[in-house]
Amino acid sequence: MKDFMMIFIGADYQELGLSPEQLQERMGKWFAWNEKMQKQGIVKAGDALVPHVKRVSGPNRTVTDAPLIEGKELIGGYYIVKAENADAVVKIAQDYPDYDLNGTVEIREVMVFDQQ
Amino acid sequence: MDHKVVDHLFRHHYGKMVAILTRFFGLSYIETIEDAVQDTFIKATSQWRTKIPDNPEAWLNRVAKNRTIDILRSIQSDKNRNLTITTGASSLQIDELFLDHEVADSQLRMIFVACHPSLHPNEQIAFALKTISGFSTKEIAAALLTKEETIVKRLTRAKKTIKEKNIQFQYPNPEAIQERILRVMEVIYLTFNEGFHSTNQDILIKEDLCGEAIRLCQLLLKKEQFRSGTLYALFALLCFHMSRLESKITVDNQIINLKDQDRTKWYFPLIKMGNSAMNKALEYDDTSVYHYEASIASEHLSAKTFEATNWSKISYWYDQLYAFQPNTFTLLNHATVCLQLNDLEKTNQLLKSIAVSELGQRAYLYYGCYAEYYIKKGEKSLAISFLDKALAGTTNTLEKVYLKEKREGLR
Repeated sequence: MKDFMMIFIGADYQELGLSPEQLQERMGKWFAWNEKMQKQGIVKAGDALVPHVKRVSGPNRTVTDAPLIEGKELIGGYYIVKAENADAVVKIAQDYPDYDLNGTVEIREVMVFDQQ
Repeated sequence: MDHKVVDHLFRHHYGKMVAILTRFFGLSYIETIEDAVQDTFIKATSQWRTKIPDNPEAWLNRVAKNRTIDILRSIQSDKNRNLTITTGASSLQIDELFLDHEVADSQLRMIFVACHPSLHPNEQIAFALKTISGFSTKEIAAALLTKEETIVKRLTRAKKTIKEKNIQFQYPNPEAIQERILRVMEVIYLTFNEGFHSTNQDILIKEDLCGEAIRLCQLLLKKEQFRSGTLYALFALLCFHMSRLESKITVDNQIINLKDQDRTKWYFPLIKMGNSAMNKALEYDDTSVYHYEASIASEHLSAKTFEATNWSKISYWYDQLYAFQPNTFTLLNHATVCLQLNDLEKTNQLLKSIAVSELGQRAYLYYGCYAEYYIKKGEKSLAISFLDKALAGTTNTLEKVYLKEKREGLR
């Protein structure tokens, strides 16, 4: 078993102006997905991220508040799950609730360093 | 452990929180408050993914309250003024406002604000759906079959008027309250009709609108001072109609005529609720159109089959209703009832008194009724020409099929 990170990009609820009813529906789907993965015992970690972005970049360590990042590029959260391979994670990611809002799941294997 | 959050919790809680916070901070902050409450739900959707709090409502209340205070602080400090967040209900502590009876009170105040005579009637409905029922502008647009930008404009205008006229978050004065309650009931009635009679393709939207109207009615009924025969009759009417909502629509969202509805689908508990509300209504002295409309609806519901309908009694109620408040649709509905009674003379008399232009989208029903009238009189060619007019006036597929079949039969 390896560790994989599912990174959720786009589908910023704030920007999309979803109604309370729609938000509750989304919340229910996320909750159901989380519960399903918990039952399978595959979740190692996971969080949702606050949409405020601060960036430090360049040799001068320039700090920018980046509120201008477009919602479709914003990372909204992540999960780290245990799986056989990336294809298995693609299967897990089928339940991500926000494809209809043009959200994306990026799947990345967590690198393991040789202990020798 | 039960993790399920109550259906519509967010939607209903939106209205509650906006009302409570508006009562505390004042109507002039309503936009800030709405934003803060919206933020709260966004926060909940992230935080409740892994664990739903033991008391979701308390969580929402706390977060919304803090968020509002934060936002107001930042507004105030931007303006470089001293912060005094004690507008609105200064005699009450904010936490007291979250007690059940105070919540109901705040929501009622909001309903009265929504129905303030300074707001245009279609602004009133939009404002009520937004602030009390927690619909988004997109949902309101879908519900009212209007463009979203139109709804945005209506809401902006409503809020502007509230500010300009300095409308307070209070009940109307004693001398104005009766009239305002009548308007509140009218808005509830219109909201319901938007859902019930709408050509909207989305059954959920219909259910939501009708459900909201009933919920608001119940909210009014909670306060003894607002109870009246009229209010009970309105509630009865809505229950009676609502009991038929499911049988009124096919799986692919077409409206089914009363005649062809599966009566076993009528929802009995609602009929029962309507009946007891109607009995309550009769304990009061006041009378309203809702009394007559509820009587008519109830008469339809008590017939086991379409054929068993007591048409003469319904006809009697239509006479009464028209005498109480003349209305073109009453005439048309009455005419169709007279057709069932084979009272052709009265049918013709009623139809003749109708100005078709007043019927709007429902003019096709008038032509259909005339066609039926001529069929019964045996005048085929006239019947066909009216069927053609009816066909041209409706987009409802089921209606079209029905009218076409009728037309074929006349050849």
